[in-house]
Amino acid sequence: MKPREIVVISGKGGTGKTTFTSLLAASFGEAVICDADVDAPDLEILLKPRRINEQPFWGMQTAEVDPALCTGCGTCVAACRFDAIAMVDGKAEVDTSFCEGCDVCRRVCPEKAISLVDTRQGTSYEGLTNLGPMWHARLNPGGENSGKLVQFLRESALHTARERDIPLILTDGPPGIACPAISAMTGADLAIAVTEPSGAAFHDVERLSQVTARFGIPTAFVVNKADLAPKLAEKLKQEARTRNWKILGEIPFNRAVVDAVAEARIPVQELQEEIQLIRKRLDNLL
Amino acid sequence: MTLAVASGKGGTGKSSVSASLVLAIQNLLAVDADVEEPNLGLLLGAVPLESTLITLPVPAVYGDCCTRCGKCVSGCMFGALTMFGEAPPQVNDLCHGCGLCSMVCPEKAITEVDKPIGEIRHCRTSREGDLYEGRLRVGMPNPVPVIEDLVKTILDMDGSKVIDCAPGNACPMVAGVRHADAVLLVTEPTPFGAADLELALQAVVDLKKPVGVLVNRSDLAAADIKGLAAKYDAPILAEFPFSRTVAEAYAEGTPPAAMDTRWKSGLREIWEYFERKLDQ
Repeated sequence: MKPREIVVISGKGGTGKTTFTSLLAASFGEAVICDADVDAPDLEILLKPRRINEQPFWGMQTAEVDPALCTGCGTCVAACRFDAIAMVDGKAEVDTSFCEGCDVCRRVCPEKAISLVDTRQGTSYEGLTNLGPMWHARLNPGGENSGKLVQFLRESALHTARERDIPLILTDGPPGIACPAISAMTGADLAIAVTEPSGAAFHDVERLSQVTARFGIPTAFVVNKADLAPKLAEKLKQEARTRNWKILGEIPFNRAVVDAVAEARIPVQELQEEIQLIRKRLDNLL
Repeated sequence: MTLAVASGKGGTGKSSVSASLVLAIQNLLAVDADVEEPNLGLLLGAVPLESTLITLPVPAVYGDCCTRCGKCVSGCMFGALTMFGEAPPQVNDLCHGCGLCSMVCPEKAITEVDKPIGEIRHCRTSREGDLYEGRLRVGMPNPVPVIEDLVKTILDMDGSKVIDCAPGNACPMVAGVRHADAVLLVTEPTPFGAADLELALQAVVDLKKPVGVLVNRSDLAAADIKGLAAKYDAPILAEFPFSRTVAEAYAEGTPPAAMDTRWKSGLREIWEYFERKLDQ
């Protein structure tokens, strides 16, 4: 049987995805855990995986100019649509953080001074935690192709789940609604959006729900820091009802939770009741 | 001066800082480069005045001229063109708009059409200021062209600007800070905040611009932000403690500087610091 996959997303950053994922992992006791927020990966701080394997992540190839052959004609600079090549001291120079590896410059260069080379964009890790095997990664700062890395992590997590006969994959997703977020959620059985009662978070979750609808992913919501703006939390719940969004539960803003996370500890005791209730509704949903 | 406000970790207060800067500094143009989830307008009471469509040039294949040679399909590095049976190549959402396919087609059977991927909104704030906001169309995978277009648009304008950037440490964040004169990184002293700040510092130090750190909710936890900032030679320019009043006001759409004078004066000092730094 294909393992079930739950992905935790948010639209807006900083609403509490990672802490919530750790709580969910603790409540299930065993799952394959996947941190898909590869350019700001923090789940390992709470789950403390023991590393058993690591491998380099090669993204798209990027262009490289041989300065001995470059005559500084500028044909490549004009042809590049990504502003990734600039003329520096009469020679073309590639900014790898913007090069998309499209191959246009190599083809237009009259001197054949450009080649495409493999570029390491980060590292992926396989680890073991008390709550199950874990896949996570680190994208090089400023790097791209994070969607590809996310896809690799999810495929690896699925492989591990099948191999070890673990029926559940828990994925901590990235913020936003573009390529890494789409890569993290496509094909998942359920997306849980962690939101908070603020105008900004509401705006973001609305856009996020359009994305999950577009990709056909069932979505449920958790309202974090619900007591910080009770009126807005109430409005959020009303909106959710009119839109048929499923709310799994609420989590209050609690200094003890912040303190637990500051000690790199999953706030299991601090939020026991809330998580039990969320789990009950989640199990009904699954 | 154009100051970019970035963070690494999301939710540390980038938009609160950007909106507060707009309240603290006269005639500051506000720019929202978090095009996936633009929120700055909500904090500034912005009303849209006009919108400019952002498009990506994607291929359109003329089936009558196409000989099905497959050069475009094999040349495309993104797998954005596929060909089945007798039908001409089909384009999918993976297209990056690089132009390679129309360049390599020997029959000149490929032309490019503009596909809308987002918009730039010019808005008026509740205090009669200007805001330019990038907005990625929902479902589109790549925010970078929208950010680049937005930044190009505002760089041509006169006066000082603040760019509210995307969270994270990948290409969308770099696209927002890349053309700015200086970078302010907003963090919080939690283990997550510290871990992501280090990645953000690594991403921006290479750009060789003045960088400073603002510690928000500075009393919430005790991660060693000072040590990190020193390691990357980025001074801590302000520390703002957690305030429930500020958090509640933010939820309702009011920026901290409107609630707490420490924010206003602290951000003025930060602005002056960067101006001095750039004069040197």
